[in-house]
Amino acid sequence: MDAQHNIARHTAAPLNFSVRDLTKVFQTPDGPVTAVRDVSFEITGDTFFTMLGPSGCGKTTTLRMIAGLETISSGEIRLDGADFRKKNAFERNIGMVFQSYALFPHMTVFENAAYGLRLRGADGTMVRQRVTETLAMLRLEGLAQRYPADLSGGQQQRVSIARALVYRPGILLLDEPLANLDAKLRVEMRDEIRRLQKTLGVMALYVTHDQEEAMAVSDRIAVFSKGLLMQVGSPYEIYTHPTSLFVADFIGKANFFPVDVDSRDRDMGTALVPGGARFVGLPVVTAANGEAGWFSAPHKGLLMVRPEKMWLSAAHGTKTIDASSVFTGRAVRIQFLGTFVRYLVESPAARGSVIIDLAAFAAGVTEGAEVYFGLKDDGMIFVEAAS
Amino acid sequence: MSASETSIGTPQRRRPDILPYIAGGLTIFVLLAFLIYPIVTTLANSFAPTGETFGIGTATLDNFQRFLTSSMYQKALVNTIVIGITVTVLATLVALPAAYFVARVEMPFKPLILSLSIIPLISPPFIGAYAWVVLFGRSGIFTYYLQEWFDLQMPPIYGYFGVILAMVLSHFTFVFLFVQGALVAVDPHLEESAKVMGASRLRVLLTVVLPLAIPPMLAGAMIVLIEALGEFGTPAILGGEVYVLSTLMYFQIHGYFNLNAASAIALVNVAITLVAILFLIRINKKRRFVTVGSTTRRAPLHTGLGVKIVANLYVWGLLAIALLPQAVVVFTSFAERWPGTVWPTRFGWGNYVYIFSRIVEPMQNSLILAAIATLACVVFGTLTGYVAERKSFAGKWALDLTIMLPFILPGIVTGVALLVTFNSGPIALSGTALIMVIGYFVRRIAYIYRSVVAAVAQIDPKMEEASTVAGATWGHTMHRITVPLIAPGILAGAIIVFTTLISEMSTTVMLYSARWKTVSIAIYERLETQETAAAAAIGSVTIAVTLLLVLAATRIIGKSMSELFS
Repeated sequence: MDAQHNIARHTAAPLNFSVRDLTKVFQTPDGPVTAVRDVSFEITGDTFFTMLGPSGCGKTTTLRMIAGLETISSGEIRLDGADFRKKNAFERNIGMVFQSYALFPHMTVFENAAYGLRLRGADGTMVRQRVTETLAMLRLEGLAQRYPADLSGGQQQRVSIARALVYRPGILLLDEPLANLDAKLRVEMRDEIRRLQKTLGVMALYVTHDQEEAMAVSDRIAVFSKGLLMQVGSPYEIYTHPTSLFVADFIGKANFFPVDVDSRDRDMGTALVPGGARFVGLPVVTAANGEAGWFSAPHKGLLMVRPEKMWLSAAHGTKTIDASSVFTGRAVRIQFLGTFVRYLVESPAARGSVIIDLAAFAAGVTEGAEVYFGLKDDGMIFVEAAS
Repeated sequence: MSASETSIGTPQRRRPDILPYIAGGLTIFVLLAFLIYPIVTTLANSFAPTGETFGIGTATLDNFQRFLTSSMYQKALVNTIVIGITVTVLATLVALPAAYFVARVEMPFKPLILSLSIIPLISPPFIGAYAWVVLFGRSGIFTYYLQEWFDLQMPPIYGYFGVILAMVLSHFTFVFLFVQGALVAVDPHLEESAKVMGASRLRVLLTVVLPLAIPPMLAGAMIVLIEALGEFGTPAILGGEVYVLSTLMYFQIHGYFNLNAASAIALVNVAITLVAILFLIRINKKRRFVTVGSTTRRAPLHTGLGVKIVANLYVWGLLAIALLPQAVVVFTSFAERWPGTVWPTRFGWGNYVYIFSRIVEPMQNSLILAAIATLACVVFGTLTGYVAERKSFAGKWALDLTIMLPFILPGIVTGVALLVTFNSGPIALSGTALIMVIGYFVRRIAYIYRSVVAAVAQIDPKMEEASTVAGATWGHTMHRITVPLIAPGILAGAIIVFTTLISEMSTTVMLYSARWKTVSIAIYERLETQETAAAAAIGSVTIAVTLLLVLAATRIIGKSMSELFS
């Protein structure tokens, strides 16, 4: 029976993992600090689930609570109905990959990988078979008798993944596993991690602060901010339909234009741009609590537009477009980024500077030049201040 | 293959992980019973009337009255302070240039220099002191020739001169090793950036290098001061009429068996030590440097001929003087007849033959007691060091303080405390080997504790978490991951503990009994009965055995001798 088949067979009945109202309060000398507040989500089967957010947002604390390395202040964690709170970290049967790799420096690659198997009382034959099989999957053949100090960063990371997968854990937890690798290797490794995860059919919980990495590997992404879970969805969903200004801003690039609310009907609305233009039939999102600071009085709305959903041209000569929907500004920086050209434009009409991505250079636009720019018809989201 | 799939499942549900609580509880018990309890008892008993134990109703200040009435007590107090401060200042001044030269000047044989410098630390302290008598005593070799050739009159070796000379030369190593290590480790970027900004070589030395050497210098000076304030061997041999608090304590116990009076002296001694330490900590607090070494590159060494000559002369000269006592001891041990003449009249192995049958038992005792105490230090020092570094809990400072307490207590005070506490009552231990082991244990546990704290700090806590998540209990993780990784640190600490205990004197002199005489007591007894050559022979054997042990151990763990002690 070949190794691949054997591993594929492991895919058991789909697991159901759920986190409900998870809260973590740290006691600090300056009083209690809530690191994670009422986080709930559910994952099934072999989903690649990513917790994404800036540092200090609570994503790693959530992962550590799931692993059992951090106590839970309140809430529950269940795997197929079993209460994780009642289990010690060493009884949860999870695999974990750390940013620092955390390989045991006094053990060979083989012994590192065999560690979890031996703890599970596997006999010598099985340890040898499983470890060899897993090291082969991670392309580490031939390195089994080396010590971690003799390996490159990428190889060390592979060993730490092998160590976490060798005993076929119920869930694989990855805490910023690629943060210590260089840019090129990072892209290679993330694809490999996903390939392995799908081959083995193991549920994966991945933590990262890199939104591009999250978009590239995940089936679903949970975006965290300041201890709160802001939004859960597929990469496409959270990019095209962010439900808060934070998520809109954190995932990809976004431009924001202060507007007034002209009319509003359930989840559709009409936005009125100060210049006079009117955008009809836009999906409306209510800003999250604590995002009031984004709005500039008296405007009660913001129009969110992705850079690739905008146009730009030189400021002279183009008089054919309806003047009310055209903004004027000054191109302060032009970046050629290979597959597209990015224009950074200063304009009083926008909140902050405007980013516009074009497929090619706009004719006659140089750094410092006056430009006209505007919104294409689709891809706008109308964000309304929370009342 | 499905059978094999099912045979590896979730790790079995185990009983709650209680091992950490057992380990922690036991440690707390040991610290309370053998450290806190004796010390508190002793301090309390210093307020009890002679021959009684402390009671609220009978509390009295009688035991301290002698400090007001007896000029001997007052002089001893002054002597202790004066000798302590003088020794600390001189040892620091002597050590600083040597540390700078070895760290920053191109010199051959640096590892040898560092290894030689620790020999004074591991030889029996008072035997070295006695060597100064052989050289500078009333009929000493140097005294004779200075008088004969230059008509120079040496100051009497008994008294201030001898005590301070002997102590400076046996203690400067602490400052030397600390400062030397720090200067080697200073990030060369600091000096380079000063140079780039236009500072001259002298200016860099004065404004960058030396200020960085101050914290390790103060740390070394603190150890010298603590040792000097509590030293028993050297003032006992060379003090003559100059008494210090530790010798007074010894007389109170061995002369009158007055435990309360000894307790009172101990309290005063501890108070002086504490004041001195608080003072040094206060100076050091103002200087907190973070030097994040981003490079393993070393600062460039001076290569000028003049500098090299000065450096070599100073360092080798200092080492020659510091090792002179050891050389004299070895020399004396071969003197079969030395009837009051300048030089011995007959040399031979006679002294070794004479002591051979008499040294086996004390050496055995020393090794056994030191080994058991070292083992206890390793077990409890490792546990407490691990907990203190890894866990955060209320009262952590109390644990830290408790462990470090005996480190700042003069050894003779620890001896007195244990003697007072376990002399009678529920646990009577005086005269047993156990009380000596306890004394050694509390005196030295701080070494292992410190080593372990430093070693654990080097280990990524994620490594332990990785083990836990993989399914290992706390005990398994300690056994397979943590302890193997910190073993070199533990071993290094254990070597220091073991070797310094072989010839331990200050605590031993209070606790030994006829059945459990150690080599240091054997030497002391020979010296008291004027069998100088025999004492020297025992001392030589002790130094040789200790050196061999250190060398063997350093081979095993791959560290140099001087690295162990700094």
